[in-house]
Amino acid sequence: MSVSRRSFFSGLSASLGGMVGAAEAATPELRAPAGGPRWGMVVDTARCIGCQACTVSCIMENAVPEDSFRTIVSTYEVREGDRAAMVMLPRLCNHCEEPPCIPVCPVGATYQRADGIVVVNADACVGCAYCVQACPYDARFINHETQKADKCTFCAHRVDAGLLPGCVESCVGGARIFGDLNDPGSTVSRLLAQNESKVLKPEMETGPRVFYLGLDDAFLGKVEAEPTLWHPSHGQEAQS
Amino acid sequence: MNPVVEVLNVTREAAWLPWAVQYFFLIGLSVGCFLLTLPGFALGRPAWLRLARLALIGALVCGFAAPVALLADLHQPGRFWRFYAHPNLHSWMAWGAFFIPGYVGGLCLYAWAALRPGLAAAPARVSLLGRAWRLAALPWLPRMPRLLPLAAAWTTGFAALVLLYTGMEVMVVRARPLWNTPFLPVQFAVTALAGAIGLVLVLDRLLPPRDRGMEVALNRLLALSLAATLAVGGAWLATGLLGLDAAHAAALASVAGSPEWRFAALWAGLAAAVPAALALWRPAGTGWLSGLIALHAAWMFRWTVFIGGQTVPKSGAGFYAYHLPLGHDGLLGILGTGGLCLFLLIALTALLPWEAAGPARAAAPAAAPVAPAAPGRA
Repeated sequence: MSVSRRSFFSGLSASLGGMVGAAEAATPELRAPAGGPRWGMVVDTARCIGCQACTVSCIMENAVPEDSFRTIVSTYEVREGDRAAMVMLPRLCNHCEEPPCIPVCPVGATYQRADGIVVVNADACVGCAYCVQACPYDARFINHETQKADKCTFCAHRVDAGLLPGCVESCVGGARIFGDLNDPGSTVSRLLAQNESKVLKPEMETGPRVFYLGLDDAFLGKVEAEPTLWHPSHGQEAQS
Repeated sequence: MNPVVEVLNVTREAAWLPWAVQYFFLIGLSVGCFLLTLPGFALGRPAWLRLARLALIGALVCGFAAPVALLADLHQPGRFWRFYAHPNLHSWMAWGAFFIPGYVGGLCLYAWAALRPGLAAAPARVSLLGRAWRLAALPWLPRMPRLLPLAAAWTTGFAALVLLYTGMEVMVVRARPLWNTPFLPVQFAVTALAGAIGLVLVLDRLLPPRDRGMEVALNRLLALSLAATLAVGGAWLATGLLGLDAAHAAALASVAGSPEWRFAALWAGLAAAVPAALALWRPAGTGWLSGLIALHAAWMFRWTVFIGGQTVPKSGAGFYAYHLPLGHDGLLGILGTGGLCLFLLIALTALLPWEAAGPARAAAPAAAPVAPAAPGRA
């Protein structure tokens, strides 16, 4: 991924300054049935402080096993000369419009609800992990306790009860905004209409429904960076 | 120094375990071995009979062991019934669930048709096994001389489908650029054939009497298949290096900076070039060695694709670490699969008149000296 350092840092400074991009961004076309909601999320990276409250609340809400994550805030340090800044990139299932995880599932256990949320029917899942391989965003994993595919569900059980997803509820900076993309009056729709938004790996043509504000192009795909200083690992935990 | 440092990110463990490597390795060997039986059994070439008999043993051993490894990869093997109760026919894996029994079932029928003359020729009063052989020949059924070619045609069709689905299943994963290449199914097929030839060469050493003429011919065939392996690998590399395709260039770039991947590439090249050179330089007397190295090359290719491929993060920086567990999801699984193959090899060669296998007209002369001895041996 090539990006000029100038454009990279101009985007970075915009996000650090709490500003979001220009207002001419196109509102994404949505294919959800008329009349029903199409849930989506807008992540304003300028508001994320990397506290991982979303990561923890997701684990608590969904009983995510140790060393597994449905969402996490990838954290990067970016340096130029004497200056350094942090970039926060909350990652989760993108609940794509064209989810590559669905056609590969050999038993139809993973499917998309009418409201756009991509879920796994754990009773039907055989744990073959084909969907884990097919997801371009590394958003899926095999749950060590159930030995089945696991992923973010936008906290569908909460959404169905009229509540916000756990990560949105716990976000201290209000960086995660959840709402109905079919409703032009919703906060997410207005944010997308008023700001330039981006999605991760647009070249995969999956139609992600998690949108990012203020994110530099260098972070949209596989991030070219020095590898992480520490990362949780089931194997390491088991050895300790 | 890279201006970006990844401070915190998540590690995703390999979701396809060494069981998957074992499955793809064994099913490829089985299909390759089956194809090697065709000249001797289906086309009736007498010079290929010894090769066909050894290859039939290889096809059966690997064909029975492969689905076991596949079931083990589901973590709970009892889940397999869902593949048939709720198939999603958009998935290559779902189709594979139907191709595998089609292939293994066809292989069993083909093997029975090839073994039937030898089974029927067993002297019934010699031993219990001799009586079992005669019963297994189903003597009350007619001769059915067309059964062997018909079973060969059925199994060839499903063998082709198995090769197709195993390649396509991995190739369609766009999320992994290293897998998402049309070269991959071809490479799976040619390495499977090379591995199968290697297996037959090793079996020739293990199951005397050795056949020097067959060894020389097989070594030449091995050199050809390994040359094809190198050519396909070279084509993939050239496509990436020359930037002929952006996806291939991205795939190559994702691993080119890694010393471990460069070492693996060098090792893979040598694992193909060395046995090819050995097979051409000394085609007689070295078959067991060139065969073993070819088997290693076929296995290592799949290990690199599956386990190595999953160490390349889709979003994160660097590589995920993979440490082979010692338990059933790692070393024990690999050794266990090998043990199962060994058991099947001993059982099949001890219990079946494999040395008399072949079309009825070819099997009859061979059956005479072999059949009386075999039951007693068992």
